[in-house]
Amino acid sequence: MKKLSISRFYTGMNLTIFSLVMVFLYIPIIILIIYSFNDAKIITGWKGFTLKYYIQLWDNDSIRQAFSNTMLIAGLSTFISTVIGVLTALGMENKQFSGHKALSALIYIPLVIPDILMGVSLALLFNFTRVNTGMITVLIAHITFCISYTVIVIRSRLEGFDYSLVEAAMDLGAKPAVIFWKVKLPLMLPGIIAAALLAFTLSIDDFIITFFTSGRGFDTLPIYVEGTIRRGTITTINSLSTLMIGFTLFLVVVTKRIRKILISSL
Amino acid sequence: MNRYPKHGQSEQDNTLALKAASRRNLASWALSAPALFWLIVFFLVPYIIVVIYSFLTPDIYDVNFEFSLAAYRQALSPQYLSTFFLSFRLAILTTILCLLLGFPVAYFIARAKDKTKNTLLIFIIIPFWTNLIIRIFSWRIFLAYNGVLNDVLISSGLISQPLEIMRTDLAVVLVMVYVYLPYMILPLYSVLEKLDFTLLHAAMDLGANEIKAFFRITLPLCAEGIFAGSLLVFIPALGAYLIPQLVGNQKSLYLGQVITYKIKNIPRNWPMASALSLTLLFFVAVLLFGLFILYKHQKARRKV
Repeated sequence: MKKLSISRFYTGMNLTIFSLVMVFLYIPIIILIIYSFNDAKIITGWKGFTLKYYIQLWDNDSIRQAFSNTMLIAGLSTFISTVIGVLTALGMENKQFSGHKALSALIYIPLVIPDILMGVSLALLFNFTRVNTGMITVLIAHITFCISYTVIVIRSRLEGFDYSLVEAAMDLGAKPAVIFWKVKLPLMLPGIIAAALLAFTLSIDDFIITFFTSGRGFDTLPIYVEGTIRRGTITTINSLSTLMIGFTLFLVVVTKRIRKILISSL
Repeated sequence: MNRYPKHGQSEQDNTLALKAASRRNLASWALSAPALFWLIVFFLVPYIIVVIYSFLTPDIYDVNFEFSLAAYRQALSPQYLSTFFLSFRLAILTTILCLLLGFPVAYFIARAKDKTKNTLLIFIIIPFWTNLIIRIFSWRIFLAYNGVLNDVLISSGLISQPLEIMRTDLAVVLVMVYVYLPYMILPLYSVLEKLDFTLLHAAMDLGANEIKAFFRITLPLCAEGIFAGSLLVFIPALGAYLIPQLVGNQKSLYLGQVITYKIKNIPRNWPMASALSLTLLFFVAVLLFGLFILYKHQKARRKV
């Protein structure tokens, strides 16, 4: 009986901490969303409901530009890093591959180094080679930090791969190309989607590496937001943030299939 | 895979198998070539340039190609060592707080019913997939002098003067924990989820109390999750720039800020930024190597 009560105490404690952490995680976000409808120019108390900052958001050319830059970079870096990820994962399937160790090191090391160092080193590379910073340099940087993630996610899927299906297709006389496109790739697809989503989010999220590799005149959303906060004109940031949170919610909650893939890829 | 040759086959089969193996090896090289090329050119080579730049002399906008050790001498001076100290302190504090908060949360989710588990996980993932700068910005609204927290506290009569939390080290720690907590919870959850809880019951049936069972069974079995989570929090926390920049004060600068200023602000000091970056890299490498040795040692001991 005594043991049971201790057990209840621990469950109660865990529940309490869980609830507190939930409050901690969500209070700032909820307040941000509410205050995006606040009719005030600076951070202050509630001054009445308005939608004008959403309208201003729509009329703001630099935000629109930053948004399209972000999507362009995220789309391209996701596509390229995912393709490279698929190829590399297939290449590394062969455990006897003589470049296995070196390649693994190159893929895993960027993950255990603070990301600011990748920003610094790329900034120096582009300075040393006298390349003008802008869209191309940001794209290169994003692909560089996405590759490690896409390779690892796709590889982890291949590890638990059911080769009996490939063998069955071979026994039935299917050609290698057919086996790849009709059997192997569809089976790899959940891993590929998970990798692409991860790359996309990482790209949209990145501030520091973009900060080091983008020149003047090429802003992504995080860069734009940071500059705006620094200058103190934050009125549209609330509404912009709310829309971006909405986008995340849409991705994670509404699309059931994506949610399943995300959970299984953890 | 049954493409490999079986034992006791003729020599001709063996040479065929060898040829097949070398063909597979070649295919592997071809498939990995893009990644290999990319990571060598854009990950490895830039570090060589960082090493070179760290031995040069600064110019207002650029570098002069004259050898100098000044950057290292400065980087290892008391002024900058205290910056390292501040950053390590912040990273350690953040990791410990994330562990203390994250463990009960991960445990709670892992022990929930299968259906609720996924819903609870989604609640952890949503902030995790929300844009970093937005999450930091939301804390500015919450903690600001005229912000929501002060409004609520004053109108409820708990305080008469607004609290000045924004632009303090407390705000930095708070937001760091907020941002990195999911990175701790998710790996902890994935080990706790696989944990065989019958072991706990067995230990308690044999007379161990809950606390003893926790330290002797749960904790050692979760070592890998704790290890992974701590690294995922500690390493980025060491180089944090955005959080101290947006919610911290400008009196106590962290390493990420110092390195960024050396590159972004004029007069630039690229050699200094390089030397500081390499010193940080050295500390991280020593730490990782130490942990690796410890891990091997533990693994060897468990086998005996």
